Amino acid sequence: MPSAVVPLPEAAGQSSAPPGTLPAKSQKQMTKAERREMQERQRAAKAEKATQNQSKNSPKSSNKPAQTSKEGALAPRRASKAADLAPKGFQGAGGQSKDVKASGEDKSAHTRGLRIFSHFGLPKPTAHKGEVHPTIVRLGLQFSEFKITGANARCIATLTAFKTVIQDYVTPPNNTLSRHLMTYLSPQISYLVSARPMSVTMGNAIRQLKLDISGTDIDLPEQDAKDALCDKIDTYIRDRIIAADQVIEETAGNKIKDGDAILTYARSSVVEKVLLAAYADGKQFTVTVVDSRPMLEGKKLLEVLSFAGIQCTYLLLPAVGSVITEISMVLVGAHSLHSNGAVFSRAGTALVAMMAKQHLVPVVVCCETYKFSETVQLDSFTRNELAPVELFNSFPQNKQQDLSSLSDQPNLQILNPLYDLTPPSSITAVVTEVGVIPPSSISSIPLALGRTML
Amino acid sequence: MDFSETTSSQPDIREFVAVVLAGFGNELSPLSSGAGGEPSPKALLPIANQPMLDFPLAWLEQSGIKDVILICPTAHRQAISHYIHSSSSTSLRIDVHPYEETEDLSVGTCAILRHFTHLIQQDFVILPCDFVPPPSLPLSSILNKFRTESISDGCMSTACWFAPRRSEQGTIPDEWGQYEFSTPIVYDPVTGTLLHVDTPDDVDRNGDEIELRMSLLTRYPRTRLSSNLQDSHVYVCRRSVLDALAQKPTFDSIREEFMPWLCKVQYQRAKRERYGSVLTPTTNTLNQNVALRHSTTGAPNDLFSLKHHASLGEKNVAYSAPPSPTSDEDNKGADASLRVGVVIHNDSSEYAARANTLHSLLELNRSFLTKAQWTLPTDPKDRALIDPKAQISSDSIVGESTRVEERTSIKRSVIGKHCMVGKMAKIVGCVLLDHCVIEEGAKLDNCILGKNTRVGNKAALSWCITQGGYEVEAGGSYKNEKLEISDWAAGGTSSEGNDGTSEDDEEEEEGAEESGESED
Repeated sequence: MPSAVVPLPEAAGQSSAPPGTLPAKSQKQMTKAERREMQERQRAAKAEKATQNQSKNSPKSSNKPAQTSKEGALAPRRASKAADLAPKGFQGAGGQSKDVKASGEDKSAHTRGLRIFSHFGLPKPTAHKGEVHPTIVRLGLQFSEFKITGANARCIATLTAFKTVIQDYVTPPNNTLSRHLMTYLSPQISYLVSARPMSVTMGNAIRQLKLDISGTDIDLPEQDAKDALCDKIDTYIRDRIIAADQVIEETAGNKIKDGDAILTYARSSVVEKVLLAAYADGKQFTVTVVDSRPMLEGKKLLEVLSFAGIQCTYLLLPAVGSVITEISMVLVGAHSLHSNGAVFSRAGTALVAMMAKQHLVPVVVCCETYKFSETVQLDSFTRNELAPVELFNSFPQNKQQDLSSLSDQPNLQILNPLYDLTPPSSITAVVTEVGVIPPSSISSIPLALGRTML
Repeated sequence: MDFSETTSSQPDIREFVAVVLAGFGNELSPLSSGAGGEPSPKALLPIANQPMLDFPLAWLEQSGIKDVILICPTAHRQAISHYIHSSSSTSLRIDVHPYEETEDLSVGTCAILRHFTHLIQQDFVILPCDFVPPPSLPLSSILNKFRTESISDGCMSTACWFAPRRSEQGTIPDEWGQYEFSTPIVYDPVTGTLLHVDTPDDVDRNGDEIELRMSLLTRYPRTRLSSNLQDSHVYVCRRSVLDALAQKPTFDSIREEFMPWLCKVQYQRAKRERYGSVLTPTTNTLNQNVALRHSTTGAPNDLFSLKHHASLGEKNVAYSAPPSPTSDEDNKGADASLRVGVVIHNDSSEYAARANTLHSLLELNRSFLTKAQWTLPTDPKDRALIDPKAQISSDSIVGESTRVEERTSIKRSVIGKHCMVGKMAKIVGCVLLDHCVIEEGAKLDNCILGKNTRVGNKAALSWCITQGGYEVEAGGSYKNEKLEISDWAAGGTSSEGNDGTSEDDEEEEEGAEESGESED
């Protein structure tokens, strides 16, 4: 039986086939799957070609598509032939798509070539519309420039901005505030989403705000209604974020004993507060801050903690294995908590949690209840966010021009996924303001808060 | 649903108001001096046959700012209002405000701004009327930098400096005025902060050295010193800056005195203590201090100021005040960094310029010529005026209703509207404003002729500037001179070989004889 090992195709005149092609399998199966895969690829390549032909008029790029279409025509013919030519066809098609990728020099063809995470896309540049309130415009800029980051910070910023928007709002005649304010806020919200995808905290807060708006009394004079709404927003921030943080500080602080070595990853506003409060209480402990590129948030946490007088160690994520044996507790924050007990947090947290679990170190997640999301998340590929390359340098660079030369390489794509999922098996406990709960009972949080919907 | 109704029902929230300053343009005299009692505002001098005021206004419109306050001297008010109302409809709402100023008694820009403070209630943008922005620098990028930083950082203002294009030395005669010297500035390229601007006072005090404070270098250890950048005079400022201006009544010029002073507040402790509260009022402004304290990217600002104090005093490690999470504390205005941001435009392919000297006016006109493609006008009436035997090179611009007679040669020039160019005239590298008359055989070389100038037969002008309404007599020949009417009216004798002070008496008036209408 002819094996799958065949000489590289010479007729196609390609560069060497992409490494890591399928290992030798039964050829009949390969053929069918191959054919399907090839067709998919050709369809994608044709779509790229079509837009490339529109954007570039140079003869060079039009030659390449002509050449690739020829190869594309050749490849299926080959595949339909004897089985031992199938790998050749596959390699030919693989090489063809690589060619298309290489010839596309503009950035849009570049990003279309993203194989992984192409379904998130990169945030599109925002179009400034006339009806967006200037406060929201500024807020969108803070988000897209990554000046305000972190689930808590973004939620507080959004709610504070909405307070201003509501105060400036005027109910048009023949309309009620409870109905019309919603339609007024919708374009503002979509502007914020286009600046940066919304966080779970923002979503929950806005849902609560919408509930409050639709619940306003129709007979209330406008200014009173607006004041009441602003009050409700303030209450939300105060109760569910600030006060919750204080309860968490106490609860988690009780878990910290003298002589502990605490490890934390990147920077969470809650964990920062917990550590500072515990230190102010007089407990003696050391902190190890683990950090990773591209955002390097741990550096700022290090500054704050060491300024307070806490003894800190700083290292990068790949080095966690060497210190984990000396750690007594891992304290991390969360972006959101899901019904199946998974914690969605900064990319890298999952590694730290799993490593800690292996070494029997308790992993404690500090999270307010308003970060709870009803959805079930099983992996970090279906929903994630990519950080823009220009804002964060993925590679250490000494000179200014390194970054631009990196992003111009046709064969190099820089991906910065921001979040990852920690499975419930790696987590020991979640500290919320309603108590310390094991991850398996996270879905009981709404019940504990006494409401059917969060 | 009627969406148009719902969106217009909301009150207009003006985020920015633009203040355009149209001055006298003393550097551009004699072009900007009135011609026979008729004022010739600097803002309406044309660049490539478009009044230069068009450029900043188009720039504003593109960035989405709708409200404009245009401040001009009383004498020019009518001309400018007329132009604005008659120009093609724009979405800008322009308010023209006159200010009492004459050519001799010039008022500083600070005084003007103090006078009109009551008109400005929100954050504002100051623009000069003579700034020609490059296409690659939209105003919205400067506005976005200001918007981002004023919230996240407490930035007070954002300026824009650019690298001007230098013409080769020696091509432009010295009589046209001193070439503009660029001021040395110190800035931080990473964060885009303007740290120090050398003022003429500093130069007077110590001409050999630039003095910098240690506190500047402590805050920003990596800075750049550059002396080939020029101030565009575009400043985006917070409203509170006007309050600080009111506290400094001795300042005269925004560019030379106020902005350099503003840069010092961010690092000089004494100034910061005195003016910090004025510059960051806590009322009426959205501050995101609570959110910023929770933000994971960014050290809290009070941490920095505490560090600063701690390093000066004893090394007291326990001297820490962790930021408080309660919302009561978000009224602390002293956290703001009070920086002045700066956008540096260094692109040499598309350069910005300020048309406030004669050199730059000529250069700007020429840069537009490189993009010009002159073809015969499509309007048959205009075409009839241009003789087929005239040689007009493709890199010139000829305005409408201009009559060009046979065997003239026009190269690399900008000719205004309603001009008359006689037979066998040679015009090379010139800028002619509207209504000029050039009679037969005249030769013009690298000149700028004001409105209504008349050049007589066989006259030759080289590197001259004429005031509007001047008349050069037939056969006259001038080189490197500024020709003004006052000399003609006084009936002074012609003298050649004078240096370029305004004593020259040769006046060549080319009235617009063919069209009786006189446009403002």
